[in-house]
Amino acid sequence: MTDQNQETAQDQVAGEPEIGYEQARDELVEVVRRLESGGTSLAETMTLWERGEKLAAICQTWLDGARRRIEDARAASENINDNTDRQA
Amino acid sequence: MPPILKVYAIALSVPLARVTDMASSSSPEQTRSLAWVVRAVKDWVERCGKVWVEAQVIELNRRSGPTQFLTLRDVDEEISVTATCHRRVLDAAGPVESGMTVTALLRPTVWSRTGRLSFECSEIRPSGEGQLLAQLERRRRLLEAEGLFDSGLHRPLPLLPKGIGLITGAHSDAERDVIRNATLRWPAVRFVVRNTLVQGAHAVEQILPALADLDADPSVDVIVIARGGGSLEDLLPFSDEALIRAVHAARTPVVSAIGHEADNPILDLVADLRASTPTDAGKRIVPDVAEELAGLHEATSRIRQSVTARITTEQSWLDSMRSRPVMVDPTATLDIASERLEATLARLRLATDRALETESREIDHQLRSVRAMSPKATLDRGYAVLADAGGASVGSVEATRDGARLDVYLSDGTLGVTVDSVRPGGPSTPVATPQKGSTTS
Repeated sequence: MTDQNQETAQDQVAGEPEIGYEQARDELVEVVRRLESGGTSLAETMTLWERGEKLAAICQTWLDGARRRIEDARAASENINDNTDRQA
Repeated sequence: MPPILKVYAIALSVPLARVTDMASSSSPEQTRSLAWVVRAVKDWVERCGKVWVEAQVIELNRRSGPTQFLTLRDVDEEISVTATCHRRVLDAAGPVESGMTVTALLRPTVWSRTGRLSFECSEIRPSGEGQLLAQLERRRRLLEAEGLFDSGLHRPLPLLPKGIGLITGAHSDAERDVIRNATLRWPAVRFVVRNTLVQGAHAVEQILPALADLDADPSVDVIVIARGGGSLEDLLPFSDEALIRAVHAARTPVVSAIGHEADNPILDLVADLRASTPTDAGKRIVPDVAEELAGLHEATSRIRQSVTARITTEQSWLDSMRSRPVMVDPTATLDIASERLEATLARLRLATDRALETESREIDHQLRSVRAMSPKATLDRGYAVLADAGGASVGSVEATRDGARLDVYLSDGTLGVTVDSVRPGGPSTPVATPQKGSTTS
């Protein structure tokens, strides 16, 4: 995900009440199912697609955040190990 | 004569005289049945009654039934006998085991069917060390009945104690073993040592205040009571009731580290952890720093792998959702709508064109009709229209006069003329049909 896309995702999330990854994922599944089943009006189709994009961005933001936290934790533990080695 | 047999010889002195009489009156002609003889001997032997003997238990087979069998041997000589007793007798005696010296109340008897001499034992009392074990067993049962050994009361040891209290003999192997083994595993470990007597009558007097002192010390997380083995008598302080109750009442977890071969001191049962030796205690009260680091690295690695795998799985799922045609190209839906719109527009245009064409034809028809009835058509046939200076149509000779200025409208233009004369009445001769371009005079 590019920085620009990430900003977009965060913009989309900003107006959203706290929504968890699992909730966003489940709703995205439902949106895709409805889009694929057809039988919706053009206005509904566009609304669903926009919602799907927004939910996908929310999911991506969660995953990117999780990755970042892992990397931060790794970096922190490496710092601790380095300091311990120096003290030893 | 062995002591045990002396007892029987005295007890049987009267019946033996009768046996002698029986033997003297016996001959091949005057025989007795074997059953009669066995019964007579049984009768004589059982008149002996019960007698207390000291003997060593050399074999003991505990069975599921009520009757138990044991083999007793003379303390000094190689004489052994089989004895039977009820299970209750053994249970009441405490821990009776092979090799133990006991005082037993025996009653001699003869088995009628085999003629074998046996002994019925109605009471057993351990003597010497056995007596000591029996006392300890009674104490153990009493304390157990009070619930002092319930496993639910055992407190967990801290993973890494801030301080370890150690009660042991001064400069003892036990002290050295606990400290050395704990320090090898966790170099930063801190000990608070209280040296006391660990055997003899005054040991408990010193151990109790040391235990209370360490239990009250907030820097001490666990207390080890250690001694490097010894005889049953040496280990008696660690089965003392006062010490057992003090350990039970302590708030700090207590480790029993009394090295012993077979006989567990009661301290082992009340302690929160029983170590087999002081060395074992040193290993069990602190974690191994190398093991802990390895475990920590492994746990960290597994956690990271697990989380990373989960994120990868979720990312794959999200990518697959995003790559669905409906998500990749929402214009596909728009294309369908657009195609429908274009088709409708084409139909609209076609219908409009048709309508215009029809209307156009109708207008042409109407136009031709209008044109057919218009004065211009008449003019085109060579006629003219006269109008006076005011623009009023002149349709009669009476509408004009000599010298009047008139406009003559022809199909291709207008003539300005002056009336020379006015002649009422129709023309005297028929006027030929004028040709296009000719003028009316």
